[in-house]
Amino acid sequence: MADYNKMIPTPDKFTSKPYWDGAKEGKLMLPRCTTCNKVHFYPRVICPFCHSSDIEWFEASGEGYIHTFAVQTRGSGGWQDDAPFVTAYIDLKEGDRLFTVLRGVDPDKPQEIQIGAKCQIEWDEASDEISVPYWRVVE
Amino acid sequence: MSSNPSKQAAIIAAAEADEIGYLDDNPKTSMMLHVEAIKNVTHEAGIKISDIEAIASPGVAGNVAEYLGLDPKWIDTTQIGGCSFQVQAQHMLAAINAGIFDIGVITHGEPGWARRTGALGGGGRGFGGGDPDSPGPQFEAPYGPAGAPTAYSHAMTRHMHQWGSTQADFAQIAVTTRDWATLNPRAIMHSKETHPYGGAVTVDDVLNSRLISWPLNLLDCCLVCDHGGAVLLASADIARSFRTPPVWIAGSGEAMDHAMLMEMKDFTATSASLSAARAYKMAGMGPEDMEMAMIYDSFTVTAGITAEMLGLTPRGEGPGLWADGNAGPGGKFPVNTNGGGLSFNHSGMYGMQLLVESYRQLAGTAEDGIHGIAGKQTNAKSLVVNGTGGSLSFTGTLVLTAD
Ligand SMILES: [Zn+2]
Repeated sequence: MADYNKMIPTPDKFTSKPYWDGAKEGKLMLPRCTTCNKVHFYPRVICPFCHSSDIEWFEASGEGYIHTFAVQTRGSGGWQDDAPFVTAYIDLKEGDRLFTVLRGVDPDKPQEIQIGAKCQIEWDEASDEISVPYWRVVE
Repeated sequence: MSSNPSKQAAIIAAAEADEIGYLDDNPKTSMMLHVEAIKNVTHEAGIKISDIEAIASPGVAGNVAEYLGLDPKWIDTTQIGGCSFQVQAQHMLAAINAGIFDIGVITHGEPGWARRTGALGGGGRGFGGGDPDSPGPQFEAPYGPAGAPTAYSHAMTRHMHQWGSTQADFAQIAVTTRDWATLNPRAIMHSKETHPYGGAVTVDDVLNSRLISWPLNLLDCCLVCDHGGAVLLASADIARSFRTPPVWIAGSGEAMDHAMLMEMKDFTATSASLSAARAYKMAGMGPEDMEMAMIYDSFTVTAGITAEMLGLTPRGEGPGLWADGNAGPGGKFPVNTNGGGLSFNHSGMYGMQLLVESYRQLAGTAEDGIHGIAGKQTNAKSLVVNGTGGSLSFTGTLVLTAD
């Protein structure tokens, strides 16, 4: 972990605490509305679909699919030296979408990256407190 | 001035967050305070949060709307300090009087004490007002985004996948837009005299230009340069009494889909479909009545998608608007006659450049020798102009007409 040289996020200890607590354990925790049963991400204190405040957290599968992606030739927050790298939006198996750096792909061959490809989450221990998720193409 | 807005709107309810004061034991972020206040005020009035059609809040109206999953017809982020709320009430009064919407909320969430004590933790300044519940610093910034091109490229990839478009299709937008720039002496890319890479380009030039963020190459991306501009508006009563001709705001509309790209519902569609529908409806006109267009082209993909949203092409066929020189000088449907953000001038917020050229085209001054040479002035008497802000997030559309 000492060599994690990227920006380490500062958790919101109110709304997103279960997410970051789960991350430390290597678990993807997601918020779900118990009224309409929909998952939302980023975490909120109110469901963006039905405006219920009854939000529960559950451990998700850590499985997702590439919604779209791009190859970055420059980066911020410690990423410049890693360019080119591939960023992507991942459709979570349980619903909604998040942003990541994609692993298991060749940034020099974007034509070979398949939208819809199955991905699995993996965690980098960035510090004692924070683990940062990445997604790896597994098919 | 037309109708007096006096008493054409009323405050129908007022409420606060669940707890206010010194929240030492149970500090709350700005967004939590906004949400509590909005829940309470809608409950008090007996309406649903989803009934809200318009939102005002200094700096963060769009972020609050996204948080609540709302798609408001009207967004006011005016930030002029403590009086912002009174000023926003006047803006809202005028908009309601004009029939833009019927129910709007002015909202406030400001953990002033918690910020002072540091109770909210670190997080630094970031998206959404700088509080640590801001989703950007937690869920996007760790992955190295480096400005607009690194975001917009994701939309182009998705468009290519979903609609079968190609990099060459989008490149044509840059080529045609450059043709217009050659007719604008003030354009950065007017000629080899104005810029080493100026003058006409080909699709191959675009495809072979340096990769910025695949699938966007350098010539798919707008310039970053300096600009200042202004437009004057006057009431219809006096608009004909100046030495300059009036260009009428026949229709206007605004809309949003999201603030962060993570929340974009369809990466190949922006809220310009909604803002344009509102503008066309107000004008009593449709896309078929437009004789040219001024479309925000921060990137070729921005322009291509927006053309679809404005109803100028079928879905998925936006880049085709530029095919065969149709949108270029002498073409059937001129687009971005100043040379666009791609080749004329883009300073960061390009909407003013769009307005200035829109006026010149309809006022008949687009080839005055300074801002344009022979071939730049079109015969258009009507146009649609659309601005895009954020990460394909917010849109404003105007339908303008000449006398
Ligand atoms: Zn719900």
